[in-house]
Amino acid sequence: MGKSNKDLILDPVFDNNPIALQVLGICSALAVTTQLSTSFVMAVAVTIVTACASAAIAAIRHRIPSSIRIIVQMTIIASLVIVVDQVLKAFAFKLSQELSVFVGLIITNCIVMGRAEGFAMKNSVKDSFLDGIGNGLGYGLILLVVGFFRELFGSGKLFGQIILPLKADGGWYEPNGLMLLSPSAFFIIGFFIWALRTWKPDQIESA
Amino acid sequence: MQSDKNYDKDSPVNVILLAVALCVVCSLVVSSAAVGLRSWQDANVLLDKRANILSVAGFEDVATASINDVFSKRFTVELIDMNTGLPAAKEAMAAMEAAGKKYADEAETIDKYDQIWASKSKKPSVSDELSREEDKTQIKYREKFSHVYVLKSEDGSTVEKYVFPVRGYGLWSMMKGYLAVEPDLQKIAGLTFYEHGETPGLGGEIKSARFKSQWPGKEIYGEDGNVAVRVMKAAPKDKYSVDALSGATITSTGVSNLMQYWLGPNGFGPYIDQKKGKTQTTMIKSGDTNNG
Repeated sequence: MGKSNKDLILDPVFDNNPIALQVLGICSALAVTTQLSTSFVMAVAVTIVTACASAAIAAIRHRIPSSIRIIVQMTIIASLVIVVDQVLKAFAFKLSQELSVFVGLIITNCIVMGRAEGFAMKNSVKDSFLDGIGNGLGYGLILLVVGFFRELFGSGKLFGQIILPLKADGGWYEPNGLMLLSPSAFFIIGFFIWALRTWKPDQIESA
Repeated sequence: MQSDKNYDKDSPVNVILLAVALCVVCSLVVSSAAVGLRSWQDANVLLDKRANILSVAGFEDVATASINDVFSKRFTVELIDMNTGLPAAKEAMAAMEAAGKKYADEAETIDKYDQIWASKSKKPSVSDELSREEDKTQIKYREKFSHVYVLKSEDGSTVEKYVFPVRGYGLWSMMKGYLAVEPDLQKIAGLTFYEHGETPGLGGEIKSARFKSQWPGKEIYGEDGNVAVRVMKAAPKDKYSVDALSGATITSTGVSNLMQYWLGPNGFGPYIDQKKGKTQTTMIKSGDTNNG
């Protein structure tokens, strides 16, 4: 609680990144990152859900009985996810179809649950909200990095705009098919963690 | 923060109270989101449906804003009786009302009729239960009425394509799509799926350009008049066969079955016979005028 607002938001981005350090929420980081646009929407959706869920849970944290706290958290998270899903279906139909089941699966994203149980149950509404934003941004950063490389090298595009003209369309670039498959996200996340830990050696776990 | 000292958050009463209160609040939030956004969502679903019909009929890259325009300008939507193949908007309206869905008039019935709802409702006025032999595609109940989308030429004088809604079960899911047929009702113009839950990368390839590109030009009915178009492994290079997807045998069989079913006598067969009869007569007639 001694943390400043800035720390609450920026800490989870580099120093305590939910994917790179806590290794949470990997599943959706593999599934939705073949394109930047889906990565971006997913990042925004997770940020909103994490922030709002943490705030809501923090607001009633003194009243949540410990015996049913996980169920209470899940109910709040699930409701928010459904709302986000409905909003996407109404205003970003194409993207919501591409994200398909993965919007719904935000419910099971460990980051949301992890922040609710690990932070929001013990902290004020404002701090929890900011912590949620920060963790969403940390998650989003990885998604965007992975999405950038996968879309650029997998289909020669960024946000659907052609950057590297493909051989199939008369250009020169032969796309890397591996980038369109899930394992490539593992490699990119691995390289990201490597880069991050070279920059901040204190994140390296003792072997 | 908690001022009252007697408050015990872990007491059984509080557990129940909190659970009930939370459920009420959450269900209110969820249902108001669902209801409040429905009109936008319905518009999106309709737009997506039309975009799919346009794409299967060969319109490439129609801008989202002009989909409705192009659709209403070029397509005539027919609501037909599956058994007779004849237009039956009035009958459909009465039948749907009996099944519990009321439409204001025939135009609205044609516009809003939902055949998947009709099939799922299992109500005898709008759907027929299929026997196990008939039910090749596992739809269980077949709707009595169906939409047919007819693409007309710019001036509206001649038919350019027929688009039929088709569906069938694959490995995991009901695959829903549109089948476009040339005006001779013998050659396929295209097949596209707008909804399925098949394995991505295997069965999901039914949406791939490679699989789709095999359909145009294939012929539907064989010499004996039965549906001959099919999906099979190591397909012979004839005019009826489409190559199956590798690693997706059951999905491929599902697609084959749905083609056999919807083009056969229990599907759009009666409609196709009806139209073929008509085309032949008009051809004879026009031949007469030419001679005269």
